[in-house]
Amino acid sequence: MQELRDLASRLLGDGTVGVVVGYEEGPRGVRPAFVTDAADADRLVFDRRCVQNLAVYLSPRRGHLARLGKKAVVVKGCDARAVAGLLREKQIARQDVVVLGVRCGGVLRHESGNGEALTAQTVADRCSGCDCREPRLADHVVGDLPPSPPVSTRRADRMEEIERMSPQERWDRWQRELQRCVRCHACREVCPMCFCERCVADKTVPSWIESSPHGRGNLAWHLTRALHQAGRCCDCGECERACPANIPLGLLNRKLAQVVEERFGYRVTDDPAVPAPIGRYEPNDAQEFIL
Amino acid sequence: MMTTKSISRDGLASLVADLVGGGTEVIAPSRAPDGEVEYRRVLRFDEIVWSDEMPRSSLKEFFLPPSEPLFSWRQTRSDVTIEPVPTRFGPRVVLGARPCDVAGVAAVDAVMGWDYRDELWFGRREATTLVSSACGGVDGSCFCRMVGLSPESEKGADLVLFPGDGGHLAKAVTEKGESFLSAHAARFGETTDEAKPVADANAGLGGGVAPADPAAIRAWLSEHFEDPMWESIALRCHGCGACAAVCPSCHCFDIVDEPEGLLEGTRRRNWDTCQTARFTVHASGHNPRADQSARFRQRVMHKFSIYPAKFGEVLCTGCGRCARACPAGMDLPEIVSKIAALAAEAVR
Repeated sequence: MQELRDLASRLLGDGTVGVVVGYEEGPRGVRPAFVTDAADADRLVFDRRCVQNLAVYLSPRRGHLARLGKKAVVVKGCDARAVAGLLREKQIARQDVVVLGVRCGGVLRHESGNGEALTAQTVADRCSGCDCREPRLADHVVGDLPPSPPVSTRRADRMEEIERMSPQERWDRWQRELQRCVRCHACREVCPMCFCERCVADKTVPSWIESSPHGRGNLAWHLTRALHQAGRCCDCGECERACPANIPLGLLNRKLAQVVEERFGYRVTDDPAVPAPIGRYEPNDAQEFIL
Repeated sequence: MMTTKSISRDGLASLVADLVGGGTEVIAPSRAPDGEVEYRRVLRFDEIVWSDEMPRSSLKEFFLPPSEPLFSWRQTRSDVTIEPVPTRFGPRVVLGARPCDVAGVAAVDAVMGWDYRDELWFGRREATTLVSSACGGVDGSCFCRMVGLSPESEKGADLVLFPGDGGHLAKAVTEKGESFLSAHAARFGETTDEAKPVADANAGLGGGVAPADPAAIRAWLSEHFEDPMWESIALRCHGCGACAAVCPSCHCFDIVDEPEGLLEGTRRRNWDTCQTARFTVHASGHNPRADQSARFRQRVMHKFSIYPAKFGEVLCTGCGRCARACPAGMDLPEIVSKIAALAAEAVR
């Protein structure tokens, strides 16, 4: 941790960056921190409670953050996939950000964990089978390499449960889940890949997606959100964590990711040079679904 | 002098059966299919969860649903017909609500009735008896005392339940509460006990926070609209509005016309929040609240300056749900204590 603090202090001290976006202790566990003074770098922490994906703060939409100057951002290996996504989709330029990679052995599902151990029950869904404990897309990498996180079958079990359902059961299940949505759009705002200047859900002339939290509006919103994430979602789980109605959005994202992998052989990567299916055409792309 | 009666656990179970059997809708903290506690319609006493878990949403949705039709329209060749929605509602009892949640309902009453009496809000209010349950605090995000309430606050309640020997004491607060006690007299017994606060199982929580001085906070806010603090405290805020969705006193709404086919449609009102960019964007594209610092400031200003200037109290009941729901760790109790400290310093 001291290595991270020293690095942050140096980058702020020599003027390389204007702000270091990292984690600090908050009243309810760790939370995002914005350190602008080298003397404050000791606020920074990193441990298994650091679930948040801080790449979201790189979005050009965050005007009041941009005023602090060039950003350094603390990322776990998985969060680096979001940084790669922003680079791939030309939202930021590589020289605009200093990426501080932290070696990570898995995080809890929630930031407020009171120091509980990482177990198959407490570990975040995305950590099972992690292949990026050592961040690759980074200017600096700090910390010792921890052992692999515990393996949980929680998400796979839930996916399987839904796959086994009949179409009608599946429809009823999602209707029940989505009816709780109050359309606060927290899922969108915490998503590093939801960076549109104007979201289709906010357009009113015409209103493509009804803003009402009724069955029609909620279905239209969640289908659109999930489809726009196909082949783009970095699987940080922030949408699901942020949802005040506990809608299991990660399951939708995961399903789309599986379909993209099956059809296009593409898995979201932390290499920004690998084009995503949405930005690439191959003559032999499967296209029998185009009428 | 309002009446206090006793009611046993069995009495309460029979009361629920009486109410449900008599066609009254009973709403109480209960477990949702996903395991979380929320205010839900219950049919049996044993569905009610009497625990220290905070229901995930407030009572707001039972008076101001996330989306509700205001009227429907149908167009013919020469005319438009309007189909109104009913503004009278069947009887309901909310049982075992948190004092902060019923206080939230009372705070919104002021807004819904000051210039125009909102028929849908008051239709539901009048049909509903609010029975709260004195609270022992939930966790470190509770801050009801800081905003001038308490775990046994009576604000907004018709009847408050306190723990008593072998059951509860039921203390009437309003005429509606008195009528409720008389209408269900068979289930209540006489008592000479005094209503006492819940033994604070979570010592230091909920009740442990010192009251802030609302007048000093208001005065400080009115002079610090441009304070640099707003920029720094809102850096982590995503502008998602989850705080407003779970807030018992946030009540802003949007009104939309939703066509259903070419000739008919529905006008609805939907929850809205000042935390999103869209809330204030003008047709020209200009947004007077250009970024999240301005939007978060608005949330604090409305709760601790604008509403108090009009109605005398603060628009926050200290339930702490915003802090619990926030994906970024924005913490209203922390921010209010910070402002209270700045305000106290300014007075000195």
